[in-house]
Amino acid sequence: MAKIKFVINHQPVEVDVDPSARLLDVLRNNLHMMGTKEGCGEGSCGACTVLVNGVSYSSCLTPMANVIGKEVLTIDGFNQTKQYRIIADAFSELGASQCGFCTPGMIMSTYALFLSNPRPTEEEVRLALSGNLCRCTGYNAIIKAVLLAAEEGEERGIKW
Amino acid sequence: MVNKFIPKSLQEALLILSQHDCYIMAGGTDLMVMKHRSSGLLPSFDKDIIYIANLQELNFIKDVSGSLTIGATATYSDILKSPIVPQLLKDIIIEIASPSLRNMATLIGNIGNASPAGDSLVGLYLLDAQVELISLRGTRTMPISEFIYGVRRIHREKDELIKSVIIPAHHFTQVKWKKVGSRKAETISKITFAGAYTLEKGIVRDFRLAFGSVSITVVRRPELEAKYIGLSVKQFKDKISDILSDYGQYITPISDQRSTKDYRYKVAMNIARDFISHIG
Repeated sequence: MAKIKFVINHQPVEVDVDPSARLLDVLRNNLHMMGTKEGCGEGSCGACTVLVNGVSYSSCLTPMANVIGKEVLTIDGFNQTKQYRIIADAFSELGASQCGFCTPGMIMSTYALFLSNPRPTEEEVRLALSGNLCRCTGYNAIIKAVLLAAEEGEERGIKW
Repeated sequence: MVNKFIPKSLQEALLILSQHDCYIMAGGTDLMVMKHRSSGLLPSFDKDIIYIANLQELNFIKDVSGSLTIGATATYSDILKSPIVPQLLKDIIIEIASPSLRNMATLIGNIGNASPAGDSLVGLYLLDAQVELISLRGTRTMPISEFIYGVRRIHREKDELIKSVIIPAHHFTQVKWKKVGSRKAETISKITFAGAYTLEKGIVRDFRLAFGSVSITVVRRPELEAKYIGLSVKQFKDKISDILSDYGQYITPISDQRSTKDYRYKVAMNIARDFISHIG
């Protein structure tokens, strides 16, 4: 066990866990933040996507040792923001979420994309979401929702 | 009970490695999958682990006397952003896994893992990359084609860390990368191919092929390359079937869950034929 300090959703925390514990398990079991989902558990589906220092990580493959001193943002923190609202509204409007299990990961990957590229092309959106699987929608609605969110963000002068 | 070490400096890491036989973990994208158990359980490591991802001393991508040098904790995303990395390596990396894994995974990790299906290795073999190892005893450098000697087998001593990979500069006339997989992203390769050539006044001055996922290690055969260098483009193209049959004996894939040996052999040969027939 080790005392590991990091920042979760803008709040500094210290957890006493094994350094090889998965960030995903610590989020859900120690911090009781259930928004981040586990799909495949091997980095292939993107349901567990979170941001670490502003870029996307698969939390199912992230050992706690690797987040020491880092800023972790999950859907449970991001969903308090107006930036989240723009993305979530676009997903709702275009039917980009059905069962909803992939949606937290999709939204975190979308936010990671907007941080570096606020007006992506369709091709850039497809590349940015290439690690996020959805078994319901067939992706086109999701891609359109991301493009709509980018447009809305620009119209409203949102700073991602 | 295994020890988990989180060194704060390279020196501390080398000291730990001199005393303990460890798994060396950077991004964790291979080891955390291999050692994964059920949700909520710790991964099942059977020996000590040293975590190096946060060692900033090893996070570099720089030009050292004309050779690109990439450190052990530089991620694929870092490499994609660097202006001094050759396009071939970027073309390979952009097809590896997904954005989130590229933010975590390191090029050096792909070398250390030494999978027969490690995509970056094909480019590194083609570009004559050298692996630099460091320990308290000092540093040593060897060609990647010697460093990797089998499936997940590397010439790393227990006290050594792969510090960096060194990639000499090249100025090819043409370079090609081709990955064959089941889907565009998040896919482990069925076959990979990298080829390059240099022409001078109609003469083939450099010619090299590398194949991945078709043998226990990347297939690159300098002695076959030497056989065909120096020919005119016309003479070279007349020898397509000789070249393919020369390489064919080293294309020895297996059948597994991703593909069959027949498919892999046939497609590897087709890609090589296509590349060679477009020389000039």
